[in-house]
Amino acid sequence: MDRIFGIDLGTTNSLIAVMDGDAPRVIADAATGRRLLPSVVAIKPDGSLVAGQDAIALEPRADSETPDGVENAIVVRSIKRYMGLGGADLAPEDRKRYGFADMDSLVVRFKAAGREFTPPELSAEILRELKRRAESALSETVKRVVITVPAYFDDGQRQATRDAGRLAGLDVVRLLNEPTAASLAYGLNQQTEGRVAVYDFGGGTFDVSILNIKGGIFEVLATNGDTHLGGDDIDSALTEALLPESLRNDREAWSRVRHAAEAAKQELSKSESATVDINLDGERIHRIINRAEIGRLAAPLIDRTLECCRRALSDASLTPADLNAIVLVGGSTRMPVVRERVKEFFGRDPLCSLNPDEVVALGAAVQAGVLMGTQGDMLLLDVVPLSLGIETMGGLLERLIHRNTTIPTSATEMFTTSADNQTHVDVHVLQGERELARDCRSLARFKLGPLQGQPAGVPRVEVTFLVDANGILNVTARDQRTGREHSVDVKPSYGLTDDAIEQMLEESIDLGEEDVEQRLLIAARNDADQLLNALRRQLGEYADLINEAERVKIAEAVAGLEAAYQREDRELIGRLVEELNEITTPFAERIMDHAIKLALEKKSIEELA
Amino acid sequence: MIRCPKCSQAQAAQLCCVKCGSPLGADLDAFAALGLERNLVIDLARLERSYHERGRQVHPDRFASDSPSVRAASLKSTANLTRSYRELRDPVNRGLYWLELHGRKLSDGNQSVPSDLAATVFEIQGQLAELREAGVAAHVADLRNGVERQRLEVQAALEQAFAELNANFALWDRATEGGEKGLFEALKSVLARIAYLRTLLRDIGRALEIAQAA
Repeated sequence: MDRIFGIDLGTTNSLIAVMDGDAPRVIADAATGRRLLPSVVAIKPDGSLVAGQDAIALEPRADSETPDGVENAIVVRSIKRYMGLGGADLAPEDRKRYGFADMDSLVVRFKAAGREFTPPELSAEILRELKRRAESALSETVKRVVITVPAYFDDGQRQATRDAGRLAGLDVVRLLNEPTAASLAYGLNQQTEGRVAVYDFGGGTFDVSILNIKGGIFEVLATNGDTHLGGDDIDSALTEALLPESLRNDREAWSRVRHAAEAAKQELSKSESATVDINLDGERIHRIINRAEIGRLAAPLIDRTLECCRRALSDASLTPADLNAIVLVGGSTRMPVVRERVKEFFGRDPLCSLNPDEVVALGAAVQAGVLMGTQGDMLLLDVVPLSLGIETMGGLLERLIHRNTTIPTSATEMFTTSADNQTHVDVHVLQGERELARDCRSLARFKLGPLQGQPAGVPRVEVTFLVDANGILNVTARDQRTGREHSVDVKPSYGLTDDAIEQMLEESIDLGEEDVEQRLLIAARNDADQLLNALRRQLGEYADLINEAERVKIAEAVAGLEAAYQREDRELIGRLVEELNEITTPFAERIMDHAIKLALEKKSIEELA
Repeated sequence: MIRCPKCSQAQAAQLCCVKCGSPLGADLDAFAALGLERNLVIDLARLERSYHERGRQVHPDRFASDSPSVRAASLKSTANLTRSYRELRDPVNRGLYWLELHGRKLSDGNQSVPSDLAATVFEIQGQLAELREAGVAAHVADLRNGVERQRLEVQAALEQAFAELNANFALWDRATEGGEKGLFEALKSVLARIAYLRTLLRDIGRALEIAQAA
């Protein structure tokens, strides 16, 4: 069977990797040698998408104007922050970045090119680019993949990631939690064992997982995190500090200053100070930032990560002293202030021997190896990060599956009717830790039934809630009396329905074919134009080199070709161009002879002169 | 009798197929899922070994390229296994599971305080209320120390209750047909006691935290 690849679909950068013998390897772009693909997607005015460096090239620059000839491509960064959310979920700072449509919908919709784009569609472009990169570098088809997700991603965010994979033409065989992926990479490469905490501070999300690694068994004890906490927020804090009040809501100014802020932040991981110097249509920003200042700006964010660490340790019933190792993952852990605070909290030097930008992708490749059966006795026991439950009378959440329960796991509940002859029972499934259902995230609503008209309390429907190895909920229902499976018509509260995805897939295939057809037609017409123009000229100039019979024949062929041209019949155009070429060959040869004769005569006269 | 989804071999319900080793997707009780005898006294190391070994045999990661029915069976069997491990590893869960297995319940309405604890609980709750109201008053330190002492006592009582629970488990493993009723009552009683002491400990912890912050 074909190989399974590992993909890190990150907030800032994405990578693709695969097992190469005993070790995982990141696949670099064959042309540029680049290993990281920036998770930036541009929507061009014609509605086509582009990802990576090509997308960055279309962004407004800090120092110059938008490149000539490219009008207003919408460039979206950190699309991961929008995955699995509805319009109402958008954080205020995310909302003002771009133009959105329909704020109350099931899914966030970006307005661009006279259309709407959903986050899975945009993420799919990144995945397509990674697929192309690997296929071109290895000359093999990439179809089955493992894609990593933040451990704290909820059901809706996981489904959105899977949807993106589908839209990119991939078969997502497993979603893998990022800290777990990192632990696989460290476990394999560095033989890290014992009780390990993985501190994963990426571009947009923060995760902490506590694992027990022993004899090839990777058992997650607890996980915690924040899906809206990352390096991006440090960039934002610095940007806010640099931007003058008057320009805070100017998208373009914000974008340019953010560029510079990000660069300064990265510089400060290597040097003691960094300079920011930007010209913004009249306003000039010139500042020198030092480590102390960025440390101050980052402090409240780091505090939040450590609070998550406290909770995870508490859920695992452990203290920092009980741990054997701390592993750092994610670009943001390169910041000296982050490393210091982590060391202080856990009381030991953290490990960062594997590249924090690549370790998750490497781990995904290891998991791909496990799925292919090449990794011997490795066993991964991950957990569900958030409790799952149903809404009960009074709007309370009744927890069926507790957070940090090892997955796969299932819970069964019995449902019955509250009124006579009730035909359906409504169930509302939610995810979260709060007491009231309305404070938790709604996952889906479904109707059990149809139930035969019976007195209240008589029907007994057994519903099994199963969280699979991807951390995604599956619901099945069974009539306890008849043993028959009930149909469960699930209405997801967020995300794309299967129908919507099918339609998008169909549209993209159609567009793909249309594009190719369009190009071929244009090429054929160009050939026809060239031939007809040349012929018209020649018929005028060399009228005496052609007899009546030939002229009629050529005229007929030309008429036929022009008709095919109008009808946009690409194949017919091609055929008739060939035919016309054949018919006019003798004529063309005569023209050639004539020209040579003339040339020779001229020469002779000149030579004689 | 059920059929293996992979090789169709008919067999008694168990975790994996006797013929091809594929997970059967059967719904087993916790002891059967982990391949243990129905003894309440369990060696935790042995339990973990069994869990890991069986986990390797049934986990979905091993069947990623198999047919949908094999994958579905793997999912069911693994969920069965993880649930079983959870039910047996913690002694309190184990006790509660034992009751459930025998069709009994530590009823939810079991809110009444075990009689011998009643006086202690009343006193402690009173002290906690005082502590909460004291805020930053001068005698808070004394109150806090008083509550700390109570905490130690409750912890000791809890440890004793656990010892009782384990003793109950040992009795079960030696019990004959007739003696079960008394053991059930004793089990329910000690489980209720543990639940109550834990809640008390949690309330004490919270109150001390708040006092600390003030």
